[in-house]
Amino acid sequence: MTLLENILLVGLIVCAAAAPLCKRLLASVIVYLSFSVMLAVLWSVLESPDLAMTEAAVGAGVSGILFFLTLKKINALKGTRDE
Amino acid sequence: MSERGGWKRFADWVNGETEAGDPTTQYVMDRRPARIQEAHELHEARERLRLKKFLGLYPLAAGLLCVVLIFILLSTVIYIPPFGQPGNPTNNEVSQHYLEKTVEETGASNAVTGMILCYRGFDTLGESCVLFLAVSSVMILLQRDRNNTGERAQLRMKREDAAERGHEDNILQKSAKLLIPFVFLFAAYVLMNGESSPGGGFSGGAILSGGLILYSVAFGPERLSRLLTRSLYSGVRVVGLMAYALTYGVYIFAGANGLSIDMEWMMTVIELAVGLVVACAIYGFYAMFQRGKI
Amino acid sequence: MPELVAQNRYAVVAVILFGIGLLNLMLQQNLVKKVIGLSIMDSAIFMLLASLGYIEGHGAPIVEEGAVDASLYINPIPSGLVLTGIVVSVSVTAFSLALVQRIYQRYGTVELPELLERAKKEED
Repeated sequence: MTLLENILLVGLIVCAAAAPLCKRLLASVIVYLSFSVMLAVLWSVLESPDLAMTEAAVGAGVSGILFFLTLKKINALKGTRDE
Repeated sequence: MSERGGWKRFADWVNGETEAGDPTTQYVMDRRPARIQEAHELHEARERLRLKKFLGLYPLAAGLLCVVLIFILLSTVIYIPPFGQPGNPTNNEVSQHYLEKTVEETGASNAVTGMILCYRGFDTLGESCVLFLAVSSVMILLQRDRNNTGERAQLRMKREDAAERGHEDNILQKSAKLLIPFVFLFAAYVLMNGESSPGGGFSGGAILSGGLILYSVAFGPERLSRLLTRSLYSGVRVVGLMAYALTYGVYIFAGANGLSIDMEWMMTVIELAVGLVVACAIYGFYAMFQRGKI
Repeated sequence: MPELVAQNRYAVVAVILFGIGLLNLMLQQNLVKKVIGLSIMDSAIFMLLASLGYIEGHGAPIVEEGAVDASLYINPIPSGLVLTGIVVSVSVTAFSLALVQRIYQRYGTVELPELLERAKKEED
């Protein structure tokens, strides 16, 4: 249990540090979403299943959609669609 | 030398540049209407220099501030009571009361749901109002109408919408057809069973809106907006908040004073209301971001 | 010192995440990355709060019948506070992203230096 916790904590720090360092906005948003997923797993390790469900649905799902739509609106997704 | 200095001062005075010195002159100078500015390029160059100086100094100051803040917080945080011990000051009689009395006082066996919907219902009511206001302000910012966007922008967006409409994804549609009923079923389960299992209004509402978003992505926003029109959406949003406020008001007047009333159905109503508010808020964010109208 | 850190690992990690988020919020030149930094700061606060309520060896706060004893479950108060906080943080994110979109519509960029320059040019 402690091993999983420590892996998750280190992963959180790595993701948080890496997210804004990515050059492309899409990559940094994806890294931020993986940060959210890790946080959701951490909530269930901390025995709060309510938080885990809400974080997985809201933090990882909905805010991801909002970020992607914003990237599309500000034309930051150019060159990522294969045509 | 002194003559030159005097001449320079005179020239400055003529140019309307104030100089600390004679208070009367200062007063008179301040009262004078602004003269014509210096040449445009000069002004611009100076502004750019100021901006550059600011941008050069700012990261240093910000980084220093952050490092000092982290250092102070770390040296404080090391001395908070150790993690996970039952004797910590946070685990006091309040949480003990919540855990031991939730079942008989609120009828919910999930202590978190019982706490946020009954003991601390005002907190959640304010939070629902925050969501309501957030959707309203996002609508103010992004709604696509004559006041908000120009003619050309509207035409361009219409063209983009048309380009997307012809672009239907078969895999997405098939899998959405398979997934959506289960998503809605799961959302209903989480919403209704919040008092006895993990979940409740917030996560249930988020899952519900996730199903709506999936439908809208797979089958096109037009088909969803035929089912969920603007007036229906606004109605559900307002009714959710009003139902919450009314039910919780009744609970405060009747139940919180130690009178015994049946809380079971009230919990379900409050939970449904929270779920509707959250689902409407998140779907509203999506619809506004996607195309500027519900 | 190391055992102090190990005892309070969640709090230490939360402070580090807070610092990372604050640095991003202040130093990033891109508005979307600034919003990401703000969200990371939110998550750090939630982590600190939720770790304060955890008790080792105790279960999730879902009271089973016949086991109404506070020493079996973790503290539900921080969970409830964080639950409302997560949803509010998402609405803050949505609002700031909407502002970013409006800024892009107005000025055509989300990079801060260009943005300042264009705004200044328009002002003159």
